[in-house]
Amino acid sequence: MIEVRNITKVFPGAVAVRDVSFAVASGEIVGFLGPNGAGKSTLMRILTGYIPPTTGSATVAGFDVLRHSLEVRRRVGYLPENNPLYPEMRVEEYLEFRATLWGVPRKQRAAAVGEAVQKCGLGPVRHRIVGHISKGYRQRLGLADAIVHDPQIIILDEPTIGLDPNQVRQVRDLIRELGRQRTVILSTHILSEVEKMCGRVLIIHGGRLVADGSPSEIVNRLTATGRVRLEIRGTANGVQEQLKQVPGIAHVTERCEGDVHTYLIEAGHGRDVRPELFRRAARSSWEVLELSLERVTLEDAFAELTEGERGAKPAPAGQPSEVRT
Amino acid sequence: MRNLAALVRRELGVYFVSPMAYIILTGLILVFGLMFWTEMGAASDFAMPFSFDRLLATLAAILVFVAPLITMRLIAEEKNRGTIETLMTAPVTDGQVVVAKFAAALLFLMYLLLPTVAHAFLAAKYGTVDAPATATGYLGLILMCSAVFSIGLFISSLCSSQVTAGVVTFVVSFLLILSSLIADRVPADTWYGRPARAVLERIDPFKYLEDFLRGIIDTRPVIYLLSVTVFFIFLTVRVLESRRWR
Repeated sequence: MIEVRNITKVFPGAVAVRDVSFAVASGEIVGFLGPNGAGKSTLMRILTGYIPPTTGSATVAGFDVLRHSLEVRRRVGYLPENNPLYPEMRVEEYLEFRATLWGVPRKQRAAAVGEAVQKCGLGPVRHRIVGHISKGYRQRLGLADAIVHDPQIIILDEPTIGLDPNQVRQVRDLIRELGRQRTVILSTHILSEVEKMCGRVLIIHGGRLVADGSPSEIVNRLTATGRVRLEIRGTANGVQEQLKQVPGIAHVTERCEGDVHTYLIEAGHGRDVRPELFRRAARSSWEVLELSLERVTLEDAFAELTEGERGAKPAPAGQPSEVRT
Repeated sequence: MRNLAALVRRELGVYFVSPMAYIILTGLILVFGLMFWTEMGAASDFAMPFSFDRLLATLAAILVFVAPLITMRLIAEEKNRGTIETLMTAPVTDGQVVVAKFAAALLFLMYLLLPTVAHAFLAAKYGTVDAPATATGYLGLILMCSAVFSIGLFISSLCSSQVTAGVVTFVVSFLLILSSLIADRVPADTWYGRPARAVLERIDPFKYLEDFLRGIIDTRPVIYLLSVTVFFIFLTVRVLESRRWR
């Protein structure tokens, strides 16, 4: 459905996107994840034909975003960052105007608008003036705008920003429902959102694609070193020595509170050291309170992928890392 | 075509939901009404023939002041609000957007001119009005405004603030109507004098209006005003397109 090949976007004085390639199949819900200024919005603007890439190419629904921009735009519903709307128009009037621009035939327009209003929960404000409705409603109007012409592909730049938790849940359900028949790309810097909505995550950092896969795949790939937590009550004599003998253990840190000793054990590549630990504990009759593998969340993965190079090494001269998105 | 109609309708709608339209309309009726009143009074006091075309010439001057107010928001506002992004990611061409905005401004102008037409009928009832000359006078006004509006539209596409666009448009259109005055002050005997005069004398839109007010439709002013319009509409489209080369 979407194919991006080696896209680079350079703004005067900043590189926003560097050599990004990926493909999105029909029916996927893909999340762009990255800190602010990572290049998510720039990438979305390129996919919607708003700005061209400096180098590289992209096709959306089989059409090149540069050469057949209109064909691409006809098939895409887009919610831009900051959700720009015309404040002087009324909610339904705005959706009708947008539906007309997308060539929804006159007879179907009212039905299309009605459906978008209903799906996005805009019923209570359908006759109000856009400038007078609350931020939550405005955000949902932006979403309704993106789906009113029933596009095959929906691109949403931070769709849940500015919404309260209940509204976030509603929007999430809506996006999941839309994703059943359509291709959805959304961007966010909220991790739990991606885990709940997306079948696939692209982590973007400093304009580069640093990870691509399902949320669990990304977590697994990054957790080659599993961390095990072992809690023992009572005398801790010789525990450290015993632990050091276990093959594959790289590092042990000990903490104790009263007579409870907690060991955080870093094991080598993809190795589960728990059975071995259990055998040793049983042999030495340690009073084990807990033996568990620490779950690495997408949050940790994200931090690992995006913070590793921050601060540690400054961006090379002439390529500022802060970029416009 | 349907796109264009929808865009024009929206643009026109914006004029009428903002107080601007009503302020401009009220101001214009007030000023034009006063002019009409004094002109009528003077004509009857001195038993002179009343001429409606002199009023139209004054109207042209007022419209030059009003033009920046009409055109300043056209594109600058979209940029300022960020709606340019939703607009340009809809399946509409840059040309359609620019033409729709220009057409809406021109339609709004015609709406503004309607009450002044009523004065012409009023004048005709109590005196004589040269109907064909008045008709060509209005044609001239519309052509002059389309040239000024296209310049304003172009300037609006360069600015992201309405106020900047308005001020710049005002200065430019004012310089245009002063150009024939400036031309007289350019020394004719220097190397640059003759070409500078030739240009300055020919860009003054008021100069072209005179023929129209006398009831003459000459091809030269028509072509001049129309080509200025087309040229600046074309430039505006290029400015919008330019985000694709940057």
